[in-house]
Amino acid sequence: MFENPEIDFDALPNVDEVQWRSMDPKLIRYHVTGMAITLAIVAAGIGVFQGVVGGIFGADISVGYLWALLPVIAVPGFAWPFLSVPRMGYALREHDILYKSGVFWRTVTAVPFNRIQHVEKSSTPLDRRFQIASLQIFTAGGSGGDLQIHGLP
Amino acid sequence: MQSLAPLAAFLYAAEGSLMTRIVVGISLFLAVTIIASVVRYWFFRFRIGDDRIRIREGVFNKKQLDIKFDRIQAINTEQNFIYRRFGLVNVTFDTAGSAKEEGHLPAVPNELAESLQARIRREAPLRADTAEGADAEPPSSRRRLLTLGSSDIVRVGIADNRALVFLLLLGPLSEQIDERIGDVVNDRAEAYFESLQLGLLGGIALLAAIVFAVVAILVLASIVGAFLRYHRFVLVADEDVLRSTGGLLTRHEHSIRFNKIQSLLVRQHVMRRFMGRFEMRARQASSGSGGRRDFKIPLLAADLVATLKSEVFGDELPDADLDPRSAEFRALHPQYRRSRILLAGVLPALLAAATLAMPLGWFSLLLLLWIPIAALFVTVLYRKSGYQVRPDGIVLRRGFFGYRMTAFLHRKVQRISLTQTVAQARRGVATLRFYLASGSVKLPYIDHALATRLRDYVLFRVESSRKAWH
Repeated sequence: MFENPEIDFDALPNVDEVQWRSMDPKLIRYHVTGMAITLAIVAAGIGVFQGVVGGIFGADISVGYLWALLPVIAVPGFAWPFLSVPRMGYALREHDILYKSGVFWRTVTAVPFNRIQHVEKSSTPLDRRFQIASLQIFTAGGSGGDLQIHGLP
Repeated sequence: MQSLAPLAAFLYAAEGSLMTRIVVGISLFLAVTIIASVVRYWFFRFRIGDDRIRIREGVFNKKQLDIKFDRIQAINTEQNFIYRRFGLVNVTFDTAGSAKEEGHLPAVPNELAESLQARIRREAPLRADTAEGADAEPPSSRRRLLTLGSSDIVRVGIADNRALVFLLLLGPLSEQIDERIGDVVNDRAEAYFESLQLGLLGGIALLAAIVFAVVAILVLASIVGAFLRYHRFVLVADEDVLRSTGGLLTRHEHSIRFNKIQSLLVRQHVMRRFMGRFEMRARQASSGSGGRRDFKIPLLAADLVATLKSEVFGDELPDADLDPRSAEFRALHPQYRRSRILLAGVLPALLAAATLAMPLGWFSLLLLLWIPIAALFVTVLYRKSGYQVRPDGIVLRRGFFGYRMTAFLHRKVQRISLTQTVAQARRGVATLRFYLASGSVKLPYIDHALATRLRDYVLFRVESSRKAWH
């Protein structure tokens, strides 16, 4: 029998009332390590560049100012995970999966289970070192990973 | 095309006079083309089963496609004037996947294409209601909705003249372009004009004549294009299928089932506004094909927009109004205007003025004139934005020169995100984004309480709906 009761808006389940689960705390350390590796690569690059330039031009041209790049990258790079990771969170409800993220632009995304096309779990070597993984959820009509949750235990 | 590379190399290396080379080249080209098509034909096989179609093709690279009928979004056929002679058509099946994996049947008889179309039309009722019996032909209820006459097609041509708009925008810039080209051409042109004994006035007249001629040619080309594409355009609703036919040399026929339509896009740009007409696109599920596969209706009046809306959405959006001037549209939060003026007007102007203060001196203050201009733009955008929330769906409106309305049903939504910037949170507004299988639509700057409530409601509808979204 078909029924069509009136909907009580206040009785609808509210996304904002869920118990958010925070990301794996190792995610901060993961990002910090990643940043350290990036910095090491950049530093090595600058070093090699300086060596090459020094070899060709001698003392005529100094590229020492390039080292100033390092703190420019490092300060926001190391600070960012401490701001962003605590603001990420996910929650599972019976009919959908929720994910929130963002420091300045705070976004809450909801993907109903009955709209999911497929999911993909992936982990990079660094991910495995920290025993975390990344989950990508695909819905129809999107291109690329529609919802990516990184830092799941 | 790659197969022609050795041919070109051969011709280049070959001995003999130019004439023999050309003759040998053309005959070789013909031979290669004919052999290639025969081989391709030989290896092309397809079979139509009860609920699916199988296509096998390829000589070295074997490819097998298996398409279920209920996964087909739309059927398109194309018939050029040679095919028309032999009663053949090219058939393409739109599936929700990427364009590469699309099913394609080249040069099949007309009747087969028609039976395929009929089959796809019958697919939905069959599954819903198996007791009816598969053999019973559903009573045909064809409703002709629109026929475009020659004058309409001329209108389409004029309205679609993007080149003309581009030219108009280019107008103020043309002086600079003139100077650049001028350096090269001027000397010669000047000598030419002098020899013609044209004065300044004559020069201006000549320039005006050239501009006029260019514009006329562009408009004419666009009208010819419109005729090629939309000659004898007919739009028919047949059961739950929307079908359009049209085209001069090549006849295009598109069919799409109503329930495969993810959203309706109604547009009215400057030219169509003068004509009081609209353009409509029925958008289907696609993975980033950028609207290439939209079902397009190039020119229609307001009453047909309303008719099509009720045809496509059935009884699900009865009180939605797609007329851009409808009083039903609610305005966005005024905060939209303030923050956009700040972000697009005040901040960039101040920044530019500050950075250029050194070289420009007091002149850099002129950059602050950008603020009122940006404010004007933002105000127009704000005025033209609006939304209607209905029990089963949403209509959004935006635009700058014209209007652009998107209508969709809640149950077609794939996922939702609600975003708040820090400033938005302070003012209690939020931006909602609905992701449909045909792309995403944004509802910016609405009251936060409304946004959360709408999101929770749409999620409820999506999660409790028993109707398929595709």
